[in-house]
Amino acid sequence: MPRLSREAAIALALIAACALFMLTSPYFATAGNLLAVGRRCVDLALIALGEMLVLAAGGIDVSAGVAMGVASIAVGKPLQAGAPAALAALAGPVVGIALGGVAALAIVGGQMPPIVATLGLWGVWRAALYLLLGGQWLSGLPRALDPLLQGVMFGIPPVLLGIAALYCIVWLVLRRTPAGPRLLAVGGGEDAARRAGINVVRTKALVYVAAGALNGIAATIYVAQYRNVEMTTGGTLALDAIVAAVLGGCSVSGGEASVLGTALGVVLLRVLQNGMVLLGLPSLWTGVVEGTLLVLVLAIESLAALRRAGWRTA
Amino acid sequence: MPRSRLPLHRAARRIGAAALLAATMTATLPAWAAGKPQVAFVPQIVGIPYFNAMQAGGNKAAAEFGIKFIYTGPVDANPVDQLQIVNNLIDQGVKAIAVSVLDASSLEPVMASARAKGITIFTSDSDAPKSGRPVFVAQASDQDLGFTIIDELVKRIGPDATVGIVSGAATATNLNTWIGFMKQRAAAKYPKLTLLAPRYAGGSAEQAAQIATDLMTAHPDLKGLIAVASTTCPGVGQAIESAGKIGSVVGTGYCSPNTARSYLKSGAFGFTVLWDPAALGYLTVWAGQQLIEHKPFAAENMVPGMANPVSFDAATGVLLLGPPAVFTKANVDQFNF
Repeated sequence: MPRLSREAAIALALIAACALFMLTSPYFATAGNLLAVGRRCVDLALIALGEMLVLAAGGIDVSAGVAMGVASIAVGKPLQAGAPAALAALAGPVVGIALGGVAALAIVGGQMPPIVATLGLWGVWRAALYLLLGGQWLSGLPRALDPLLQGVMFGIPPVLLGIAALYCIVWLVLRRTPAGPRLLAVGGGEDAARRAGINVVRTKALVYVAAGALNGIAATIYVAQYRNVEMTTGGTLALDAIVAAVLGGCSVSGGEASVLGTALGVVLLRVLQNGMVLLGLPSLWTGVVEGTLLVLVLAIESLAALRRAGWRTA
Repeated sequence: MPRSRLPLHRAARRIGAAALLAATMTATLPAWAAGKPQVAFVPQIVGIPYFNAMQAGGNKAAAEFGIKFIYTGPVDANPVDQLQIVNNLIDQGVKAIAVSVLDASSLEPVMASARAKGITIFTSDSDAPKSGRPVFVAQASDQDLGFTIIDELVKRIGPDATVGIVSGAATATNLNTWIGFMKQRAAAKYPKLTLLAPRYAGGSAEQAAQIATDLMTAHPDLKGLIAVASTTCPGVGQAIESAGKIGSVVGTGYCSPNTARSYLKSGAFGFTVLWDPAALGYLTVWAGQQLIEHKPFAAENMVPGMANPVSFDAATGVLLLGPPAVFTKANVDQFNF
C-alpha cells in the first residue's frame, strides 16, 4: 500500500477545509478574504519556519512568540521616536538574533533541556515586555514600514514573496547542502551524530540563532502590519507555530523536517481560524478543532508506524 | 563569619531591625509638621500611566483643598510590599490612607489596628468589600459601563444594526459582566440591534485583528465593533483601518485614550468608554478629607471642582465617581493614560 506523505495528507486536509468553507460561506472565496488570510499567515509562517528547524534539531522553543514580542519593541520604539524606517526594520532581526543567542547559550552552553530553558526564557521575555513597555503600549505607530506590505508584485503582496523566498532558502539549505543532513542527524540522535564527526554544539547553537533571526524578521513585519506592541504580543504564536510544524511533518522527537509541510500547516491553521469565524461557530470551538486535528494527525501517524513495524516482523 | 553562612532569618531580622529604625525615625517627625492634614493613596503599582493619572488628580485636589497628598506604592504589584507601605504610613500618623487593594485578606487586620490609632483606611479603585472600610471610591459601575457603550454606539450607527463583540479571555469576570449589561441594554431599549455572540481573542491584538477582520467579512452589513478587553483595542482599530471600513464600521471599546488615540483620530474608532483616573484620584483625596474631618457622606455630594454631584450608597459604602467617561477625537488629547 503506498503511504500517503504528510505533505499530501495536509494538502488534502487544506483542500477539504477550503471546499467546506466555500460551500458554507459566500465570503470565504473572495479576494479580500483570501488576501486577509494570506497576510495573517506571515508572522506565523516565519516563526513556524524557525520552530521547524529547532524541532528538526531535536529541540523545541516555546519562547519564540514572546521573543518576537521583545524584538517588536526594538522595532516599535525607534519608529515612535521617528528614527529612519530602515533602522527600525533592521532592529527586529538584530534583536531576534541576540535573543536566539541567549537561548543557544542556555541550551547548548548551560546543557539545559530545551523545553525547560525556553519555558524559563518565556517568563523572562514576558517580564521584559512588561518592563520595557512600562505599562504604556506602543500603539498607532507611524506608517513608516508600509512599503514592506503595500503594493502588489505579480498579483501578490511582496511580503508573501519574501516569505516564499525564505522558505526556498531553508529548503535548499536542508536538502542541497551538507548542513541539512547534519542538522537532521543531530536531531535524530546527538551521540550518533557526534560519533559521525558532526559538531553538535555548533549545529544546535546555529539553529537557535537562525530561528531567532526568523523571529526577529517576524517582529519587523508584525510591527509593520499591526503598528502596535502590547504586553501580550506573540503570546500564543509559539504554540501555533509548533502545531503548524508538527502538522506539517516535524517530529517532536527530532530528526524530521518538511519545509512544504510546515508552510501548508501554517495555511491550514489560519484557514481554519478564518473559516470558523465566517461560519459563526462559537469562539471556544477554535481551540477544540485545532487540538483535535493535531491529536488525530499524530495518532494516525503512530498507528501507521505501528502497522509498518507489524508487517516487518510478520 | 563568612557571609554565605549568615542564616537567612538572622539576615532578615537585621533588615527588619533597620527598617524598624528607619520607620521610627520617620515616625518621630511630627505628622503635623507640614501644618496640613495628610491623605495618602497607595496604588497597586507605581510608574504606570493609569496610576500616574490618579496621582495627578490627587495632587490637584490636594492643592485645591489644602491637603498634603502622599502618593506611594509598590514597584511590582506585590501585596506584601503594599502592606508594608500601608504600615509605614500608619506609623507616620497619616490620618486617612486610601488603598487600591491588591490582596483584601491581608489588609483586613491592618485596618483594625489602624482604627485603634485613630487612622482611617479606605479603598479606592480596587475594593476590599468585607474589610469594614468606611468607603470605597469606585470608578464606574459595571452596569453604566455596559449601558453607556451601547447607548453611545446607537447614537452613531442607529438602533437597527449588527454589532460584533471582540473580548479577551472567555473567563474574565469583569468583561463578561460588561457584555451581559450590553445585551441587557440592547434587549430592553434597542430591539432591532443585533449583538453577535462574543468572540474571544485571548490577550493578543493580533488575534483581535484577525477576528475583527473575519467578522467584517462574514457580516458585510456590520456597523459596529466593540473591543471589550483593553488588549483587543489596537487589533480592532487596526482591522477597521486595514479593511478600508472607516466610516462604515464604528469601532469602540473600553480603551484608554493613549491606546485608542490614533484610532480615534483616524476615524476607525468613533469613541471609547472608560473612566477618568485623574478624576478618581481627585475624588479619593476629597473623600480622605471628609473622613479626617468626620464629615459623613450624603446620598448626593457636591464636590468642589467636579461638574456632577457624586452619589454615595450607604448600604454598600460605595462613593461612585459617576457615569463612565466617553473619549472621542475631540477630547482625547486632554488625557494621558
